[in-house]
Amino acid sequence: MPDLISYLQFVLAPQMLNGLALGVSVILVALGLTIIFGLLDVINMSHGEFYAVGAFGALALSALGFNYWVLIALVPILMIPIGVLTERFLIRRVYDGGDRHVSTLLLTFGLGMIAEDLLKIVFGPNTHRPENPLPGATEVLGVFIPTYRLFLIAIGAVVIVAVALVVYRTRLGAMVRAAAFDRNMAASLGVRVGWVYSGAFAFGVALAGLAGVLLAPIYSVFPTMGHDFILMAFTVVIVGGMGSIWGVVIAGVLLTQVQAISSLVISPVWADPIVFGVMVLVLMFRPQGIFGRIGHA
Amino acid sequence: MTDIMHVEGLCIAFGGLKAVDGVSFTAERNKITTVIGPNGAGKTTLFNLISGALKPSGGRVIIKGKDVTGKGPAALQEAGLARSFQITNLFFEMTVRENLRLAAQRLEPVRQALLPLRRHGRAADKVTALIERFGFAEKAHEIVAALSHGEQRRLEIAMCLASEPQVLMLDEPTQGMSHGDTEDTAQLIRSLTDEVTILLIEHDIGLVMSLSDHVVVMHQGRKLAEGIPAEVRADSAVQAAYFGHG
Amino acid sequence: MHDRLDISMRANHVFFGILVIVALVFAAFACFSGDVFYLRLATEALILGGLALSIDILLGFTGLLSLGQALYFGIGAYVSALVLREEPSFWLAMGAAGVSVLLAGIAGGLIANRVRGVYFALITFGMAQVVAKVVYNSRELGASDGLIGIPVIEIPLGLITLSADDPLGFFLLTLVIIALLYSMSAYLLGTPFGRIIIALKANEKRVPYLGYSTWAARMAAYVLAAVIAGLAGALYPMLRGFVSPELLFFATSGDALIMVIVGGAGTLAGAIWGAVILTMLKSVIGSWTEHHLIVIGLIFMSAILFMPKGIVGMLKPFVERNLLRNSARQPKPEPERTAL
Repeated sequence: MPDLISYLQFVLAPQMLNGLALGVSVILVALGLTIIFGLLDVINMSHGEFYAVGAFGALALSALGFNYWVLIALVPILMIPIGVLTERFLIRRVYDGGDRHVSTLLLTFGLGMIAEDLLKIVFGPNTHRPENPLPGATEVLGVFIPTYRLFLIAIGAVVIVAVALVVYRTRLGAMVRAAAFDRNMAASLGVRVGWVYSGAFAFGVALAGLAGVLLAPIYSVFPTMGHDFILMAFTVVIVGGMGSIWGVVIAGVLLTQVQAISSLVISPVWADPIVFGVMVLVLMFRPQGIFGRIGHA
Repeated sequence: MTDIMHVEGLCIAFGGLKAVDGVSFTAERNKITTVIGPNGAGKTTLFNLISGALKPSGGRVIIKGKDVTGKGPAALQEAGLARSFQITNLFFEMTVRENLRLAAQRLEPVRQALLPLRRHGRAADKVTALIERFGFAEKAHEIVAALSHGEQRRLEIAMCLASEPQVLMLDEPTQGMSHGDTEDTAQLIRSLTDEVTILLIEHDIGLVMSLSDHVVVMHQGRKLAEGIPAEVRADSAVQAAYFGHG
Repeated sequence: MHDRLDISMRANHVFFGILVIVALVFAAFACFSGDVFYLRLATEALILGGLALSIDILLGFTGLLSLGQALYFGIGAYVSALVLREEPSFWLAMGAAGVSVLLAGIAGGLIANRVRGVYFALITFGMAQVVAKVVYNSRELGASDGLIGIPVIEIPLGLITLSADDPLGFFLLTLVIIALLYSMSAYLLGTPFGRIIIALKANEKRVPYLGYSTWAARMAAYVLAAVIAGLAGALYPMLRGFVSPELLFFATSGDALIMVIVGGAGTLAGAIWGAVILTMLKSVIGSWTEHHLIVIGLIFMSAILFMPKGIVGMLKPFVERNLLRNSARQPKPEPERTAL
């Protein structure tokens, strides 16, 4: 018996909390993806690169002397104009073509390639590891967890709840949902659909950037960091239901916990295939994911 | 057996709404049976249930003595059913000829599937015949998207005939047509009864009266009345349904 | 009676024919100048063209965007490598690779074809990434270094025997194989089976009412594409002498996708042209700068924004018009009159 409790306290719980920290970040990235898909119907293959840009941005700005705590707000804010420009000048151009899903996917894929190489040019191909602003561990109910991860979970949760509140409880959110549901109808009701789209895209990538800033002290920062993360983010979006915010939250927690716990039992290498296996099962038996789309949620 | 198609107690509900609630009727061989009813009565849903687009939650569909309830459109095609669509559902980027050829492809034996398209043979001959009969000789190589609405609706009907069905289901074939086109289409439908049994959804009352051998009236998912056109027109319940008062 | 789809396919043949001629001219030059490097580069371009071809069959004809075709390319390459290490037989390697990707394609198709559109793209992406990771971490398969030391093989072709080491010979062999894959794809797409595949892209909803199962048609197209990718991949270790997990990662699928878009989706020939152009570009740009991703990315994005039909797609109408004019000039046979 005591062994079990020790196991829970020193192995399982910390692992689950670590998984939660990762989960919160994955949810932030996936939220951005699902908002962009749910509202604009765009698959943003460059989303991982926006995540990387956030991390590198934090790196660069902190080298310029900015305080880490400032960066958490500053980097996402700086990413908003980038997002707006991307939507206005690139995505909108292929938007009304025949195969919107395919063309925006391909377009953002190209954008991602360029962004990745730009990061390599500016920052070099090597790995960086920014300082952990909250080193050490805290005890929570007898479980020791790195302080920074605790902070990550807290702030991530706050942001996620804020996003959900904005989308579902405010006028702005209502406009966004209306535009997602029926673009023309929303326009005729006076909703500035163009701004809504740019704003939503910018918001989505800002979320990804925020995740990048938050995760930088834990995971290393390198130009191709977006790639692995994006697969997890897409998996969460699919399992949760494209366009659904609650779906992302639930799926994000679920999948990262599956990954965390299964890493205890089997080699971490197999964690990805397991997560993927869950995605396949969900897609096969419930293709719309756990919940539906933003417009209909 | 003059019955070729028999529908018994078909039901389906969406959420709490019973879109089709226990509808039964029989379509007699080589006759035109028309389903009418106010908007929202469930006519197209009924068609969808019969043609395999939707799976009924209850009831049966029997074609030529075989129970085909709940089977998909491909299986129903096999059973001898063909259906046209209220919203034109053709291969818009392809030519008239290619559309018809695709529809007629079923006539060729499966072992021909991996051999080059045959210039002559049952399918090719069928296509040529249909082009003649439906007046597409000049426009055979036109892209369907370039055809007029009336021509597209005609092509919808032609597509159905390509597979040599026994039962033809036409969902508002004259929808959006001009008066002249509607007349021509009505004549065309009449002329088809030698070869096929027709089940029709129509809104044009004049057409319904002149074409139908048998009318089934639907209202709010249920069958309200059925009979020959004159009987149905005189039925007070039907009048109430259409005009809202008894 | 030449219908539009026939003319379209014949126009594709024209472009492919030009490619073959260019390839032969290039081979002649290379032969005289004793070049080795460019011949090997061109061979690699053709092999990747096979992968691009498989993507075009799905994207340009069936209407399915597969982001993970490199999975089958990689499986073909690895199986070929494993066979060649034991038994340096060309035919055995090709055969084993073919059978493996056939099975893998069926398995992958069963998973992926449960869904369509975006989900299909993402699931194929995921499948490739996951298998790539597994391979990357498998010691038996060489882990991140891959399998090296593939022997140079002799390829018995009945009358003659080629050595994989012979740049010119192997180039020509690859050209022949790719031409065969192209021809087989073009032929199949012109059969009733192929027309149903094309109908899927044109209006999938109507296809069941033609009497066909869309799932069966999509599976068939998917497996066909997997086999083509796998057979092309099987040639890779013969050329390069090694295989590595990079072959399975998204970069390979992505590159091939770019080749299809730049060359022209839905033209078959465009995929191969795209492969040639992109490989040449990479080589040229690579000699100036390390950062070829930016240039390729820019070209790709420009193609999508300004030239979505691709190079062959843009030039095709001119060829089609000429072909139409020629067929109109020929006397048409009297169509048989049949009673309805």
